[in-house]
Amino acid sequence: MSDGLPPEAYAAALAGFELMTLRRLAALLRHHTPAEAFEVAAGRAAPTPHGAVAKVLDAEGVRHAWSRSARRYEPAAMWERCAELDVRVLVAGSDDYPDLFRVDAQPPPVVFARGDLGLLDGRRVAVVGTRNATAAGRHLARTFGRGLAAAGVQVVSGLARGIDGQAHAGAFDALDAERPAPPAHPLDPAAVPTVGRPVAVVASGHDVVYPKEHHRLWYRVADDGLLLSEWPPGSLPLPYRFPQRNRLVAALSEIVVVVESRETGGSLITAQLAAERGIPVMAAPGSQLTRAALGVNALLRDGSAPVLDVDDVLVALGLDHRRASATVPDDRVPPRPGDLAAYRVLTRRAGTVGEVAEAVDVPLVEAAMSLARLEQQGWIAQVDGWFEAVGSPFSCR
Amino acid sequence: MTATVLSATLLGVTGQPVAVEVHAGVGLPGFSIVGSPDANCREARDRVRAAILSSGLNWPNRRITVNLAPSGVRKAGAGLDLAIAVALLVADDQLPPDAVERFAFVGELGLDGSLRGLPGVAPMVACRSDRIVVVPADAHEQATAIGAVDVRCASTLRDVVDALAGAPWPDPPPPADRDDAPALPDLADVRGQPEARLALELAAAGGHHLLLVGPPGAGKTMLAQRLPGLLPALDPVAALEATMVHSAAGVSVVGGGVVRLPTFRAPHHSSSMISLIGGGTTTLRPGEVSLAHGGVLFMDELGEFPAHVLDALRQPLEEGVVRVSRATATAVLPARFQMVAATNPCPCGGGRPGDCECDLTARLKYLRRISGPFLDRFDLRVSVSAPTADELLGRESGEPTAVVRDRVLAAREIAMSRSGKLNAALSGDDLERWAPLSHAAETVARREFEANRLTGRGLHRVRRVARTLADLAGGHELIGEDELVLSLQLRVSFGASARVRVP
Repeated sequence: MSDGLPPEAYAAALAGFELMTLRRLAALLRHHTPAEAFEVAAGRAAPTPHGAVAKVLDAEGVRHAWSRSARRYEPAAMWERCAELDVRVLVAGSDDYPDLFRVDAQPPPVVFARGDLGLLDGRRVAVVGTRNATAAGRHLARTFGRGLAAAGVQVVSGLARGIDGQAHAGAFDALDAERPAPPAHPLDPAAVPTVGRPVAVVASGHDVVYPKEHHRLWYRVADDGLLLSEWPPGSLPLPYRFPQRNRLVAALSEIVVVVESRETGGSLITAQLAAERGIPVMAAPGSQLTRAALGVNALLRDGSAPVLDVDDVLVALGLDHRRASATVPDDRVPPRPGDLAAYRVLTRRAGTVGEVAEAVDVPLVEAAMSLARLEQQGWIAQVDGWFEAVGSPFSCR
Repeated sequence: MTATVLSATLLGVTGQPVAVEVHAGVGLPGFSIVGSPDANCREARDRVRAAILSSGLNWPNRRITVNLAPSGVRKAGAGLDLAIAVALLVADDQLPPDAVERFAFVGELGLDGSLRGLPGVAPMVACRSDRIVVVPADAHEQATAIGAVDVRCASTLRDVVDALAGAPWPDPPPPADRDDAPALPDLADVRGQPEARLALELAAAGGHHLLLVGPPGAGKTMLAQRLPGLLPALDPVAALEATMVHSAAGVSVVGGGVVRLPTFRAPHHSSSMISLIGGGTTTLRPGEVSLAHGGVLFMDELGEFPAHVLDALRQPLEEGVVRVSRATATAVLPARFQMVAATNPCPCGGGRPGDCECDLTARLKYLRRISGPFLDRFDLRVSVSAPTADELLGRESGEPTAVVRDRVLAAREIAMSRSGKLNAALSGDDLERWAPLSHAAETVARREFEANRLTGRGLHRVRRVARTLADLAGGHELIGEDELVLSLQLRVSFGASARVRVP
């Protein structure tokens, strides 16, 4: 082309088109070069007669929507915006297109990436779960994120509220807790495990932070980890994009760990997509009284492996787990014997002060004191007046 | 030719003395009223004429002018009817002038000459304490509720005229049976929910405002309705103020004209600001906050109240009065109430962690409808959960109101004799003096402070509740660790959902 734009610029613009689906984009880029494809989609050039692209263009509303989108998504402006955001555009078939996608059944035709693509060559585990997580679930996700990253495993997730965000934040905990780099072994520098980084796949453009409260986390993943999206900058997190995003989370992972999930939900879709790809799914069991655990318990019933702590995942990965577990010691002070009864009540189900007092049959003041001590020691957490047991249960050790 | 008769009109919850001057002179027969009457007051012309004729008295065929002095004050309502009629009869020489000198008249006239009661008789009578006040028979109880004023009553204009001419005044109607006050709901009906019960007891003992957060069916309204039963009877001053408010608003008082027991007002969340705060009419009618004076204002579905309505509550919460100003008048209405509010934790009703259908944004948005400063007024903020089947079906009933009330009264006594006010009213300096923290309690406070879970103001709130807890336990001086910890847990920070803190 005379304007000197690389083919990626056209592919990037195409990815943002209205009514653009995975299949349509793939067809366009299979039958045409990106620049041609853009002209065809914009209605300024004719597709191959009777081909797949011609059929797509005949679908209802497509021609109109695409010619409108072509005016909105200028390849040159798009290319400039990507450069501004430091976002790389990876087109299927190009040299830098990740192998993990190349071998997938539904490869993304175009991927927008910011961060270190080399992370995809390391070990990768997805930690996913519900957005309406309990405090216990969030705590567990963070622990998993921290433990996996400490063992050098990349933590893949979706940067959503609840479990996803906590898993990523846990990976950063590990990164920050990393001691100053020990002297490399003179013979084998690779023997020192590096800390894993978060890899996030999101359902909006790189500059459309969703959810907003994850602003800092979002950009830290982009800077210190890897942030991937199938949609160009400026794209909104539309509902249909989330299941599609989940497919990439599954495709990028060696194991998918579901921490908390309701009877239906995005994380179950991820698990399903992983199972279809032959990727093992592991689930953290929960109480059948908690709604946030219904989905994971169903996964367990259907044959997923249970995961109780990070070591279970590391063993499934075939990693040496002894070294890893030493990096996340449980340094909580054991509960006082008098507080154990209250603690046990909460390991079964979240409760208020009054409920604990009634269940243990002690005065309210005593229950309040027990809960305050347990919270102080880190055995329980309080949100909106509800207390929940968090972390690995005391009696297990 | 001319006559002056005394009466009163109403503004807010106070009576305004009014002198009714009538001039009956030569000229074309006519009847006009001047001196800022409102539409209702101007209609007195027709009522008075019909009433005088129906009472077998003569209607003077002269030019009649009625002046309501002071003429700058807007007069509202039909309360001046009787005074106008009497003044007219004096001006027409049907009554001797000296017969009405010692009296003031308040009452509305019917076309048949009957006398009717009207809202605000109590304050109107009170502002005429220098005279013998004649009121309609059905307002007698209201008029005598305030005491200290000599009151006569009559049921028709004819009775009044006869009495003024020398006949004995009719007997007042027998007082309504005082014992027919319906029994207040009892705390024994509440099953389980120990912390909500304790919060209610603390609210009663310390005067703390209480916020109940819980799913539908958790019994928030049931709990709130039981607070008035725990409170002591009103002191004479508050009782008088409350009586005036009820009279001015035209709200009947159960079991006699005096408000002796704390009231319970539960305005709906669609209530307008005027209906809540007061104003609206020429008389600046008291609103719900004033009707709750000395009692409990219960606001169910707090988040559904419009923000400007909640903001308007700040002045009464702060000062105990509402200042209602309009272009023509200003009224100060008493409004010292105890607030109990209830809300769901989120749009879906929520419940246990992980049960909620709403996403975080919806939750936060729901709770943010209640502004931070307003939320801050609640010393007690408790999560209420729906009772379990065991609790509902169990035979064990809770502690009855009578038992709890004894503890509450004892604790209030301790607080009043210590500082002269309820614990909720203690200032920061008062707290230093009256609620010293033990060493362990101070450690807890410091820890919460450093964990950013407590602000300076938050600590004051918690300390006040801890003071009340100690008072309920006998009133020991030093606030212990357990009292502070329990107070902290009874002041839940709603909406502080865990956000991901990026390291």
